[in-house]
Amino acid sequence: MNATRPSSTQKYKFADLLAGPAVRERWERVRKYFFLRESTYDMTSRCNIRCDGCYYYAGEKQFATDTGDPEAWRELMRQEKARGITFVVLAGAEPALVPGLLQVCYDEIPLGCIATNGVKRIDDSVGYKIHVSVWGSDATSLRVRKQKEMLEKQIGNYRGDNRAVFVYTFTRDNIDEAAPVIKQLSDNGCRVTFNMFSAPEGYEGTLVHTEETLAKTRSVMLDLLERYPGHVLFSPYSAVAHTHRLGLHGLYGCPYPRKNPSTDIGLGRSFRQYRSDLTWDRAAACCVPDTDCADCRHYAAGSAVVTSKLYRHATDPDTFKAWLDYVDTYLAVWVKGYEKGENLCRGIVEPPEG
Amino acid sequence: MSATIDEKALQLRVAEIIIAELKLQDITAETFDPDLDLVDEIGIDSMDLATIVLVLQDEYAVKIDEDDYTKLRTIGLIAGYIQERLQAKA
Repeated sequence: MNATRPSSTQKYKFADLLAGPAVRERWERVRKYFFLRESTYDMTSRCNIRCDGCYYYAGEKQFATDTGDPEAWRELMRQEKARGITFVVLAGAEPALVPGLLQVCYDEIPLGCIATNGVKRIDDSVGYKIHVSVWGSDATSLRVRKQKEMLEKQIGNYRGDNRAVFVYTFTRDNIDEAAPVIKQLSDNGCRVTFNMFSAPEGYEGTLVHTEETLAKTRSVMLDLLERYPGHVLFSPYSAVAHTHRLGLHGLYGCPYPRKNPSTDIGLGRSFRQYRSDLTWDRAAACCVPDTDCADCRHYAAGSAVVTSKLYRHATDPDTFKAWLDYVDTYLAVWVKGYEKGENLCRGIVEPPEG
Repeated sequence: MSATIDEKALQLRVAEIIIAELKLQDITAETFDPDLDLVDEIGIDSMDLATIVLVLQDEYAVKIDEDDYTKLRTIGLIAGYIQERLQAKA
């Protein structure tokens, strides 16, 4: 499929882009969520597995002293709410190991998501979206994550749970394993989205993508999206944005504080990434700290990086529809109760120039 | 359209657009203080601002640069920015 990039002489009014009823309906649907303002929180420095290439165990944050006091977390959540945070992402190292703290966060800020390895089930009373990380087949998980029958455990814990989205991370080594894993997830009624391994700073392992594996991954993503439309939460433009050789920062410019000194408006103003000792560092604050920014193609990063570039995508009908598909995907993956619509743009659209 | 627009009329129209796009309640274009800080005092975020900018571009047929968003903190500043752009086009 050939990529399209609109002629620079072609001018559309925003009203023209919204003229079609399907586009208008989708725009009105997604814009209701513009109030979401996120921050992220490492809940504990403990984990029940240890994976090659883990972001948590890179950099300084792993050495933070855990704050296990629920009242300290409750107070933090109240302060966060007071400064306008409406969406929390609970991560690192393994949040399922501190269920009481998850409950406190949910009681104070009820919109959010938990990033978990899925080995230990999180109780239904915590009504956040739950992202279960999948890094390949069970043989690969045994090699990279030192866990036997990991996918079976994950599916056993979250089959039929409408909070759960499985997140398949494509590394250089596991591209061919995606098809059987996605089939297994689909057969079990699980929903899945895609992530790209993005090297932590200083990482010298074998999981980093090359131009060849980026292209191959894009092709596999598009194929799986076609084959499992009811279970794969993704869009053609998501595949383009996350497998581009330039990476997210190179393509769009990253709005997270770590790369954005402005505190005027947007993420540069509101986003914080708290460590498990409840401190945060503006110089390190982004959705997955200690990632090498030049290699960043994280699904979590894209959810803000691409979504925030509304203006840049309001250039022509296809580019705008591709952006709407991206935002629709992001909301379906991250916000409980939001159901993904059909993708409006089935073709391949190149990211607009900045 | 003439190269410039009466400043008060321009501010009122910008206020109307902001009220309509953000579905603000309990405020009218006439009562909207043009010096109110839209970020600090109204609480608008970057996505809201991007939406308003796109609608203003349609309305006045001027280009508002992405890099200039952060300057557009009040209705008065937005109206002044549009006025400058209209004059530059004339």
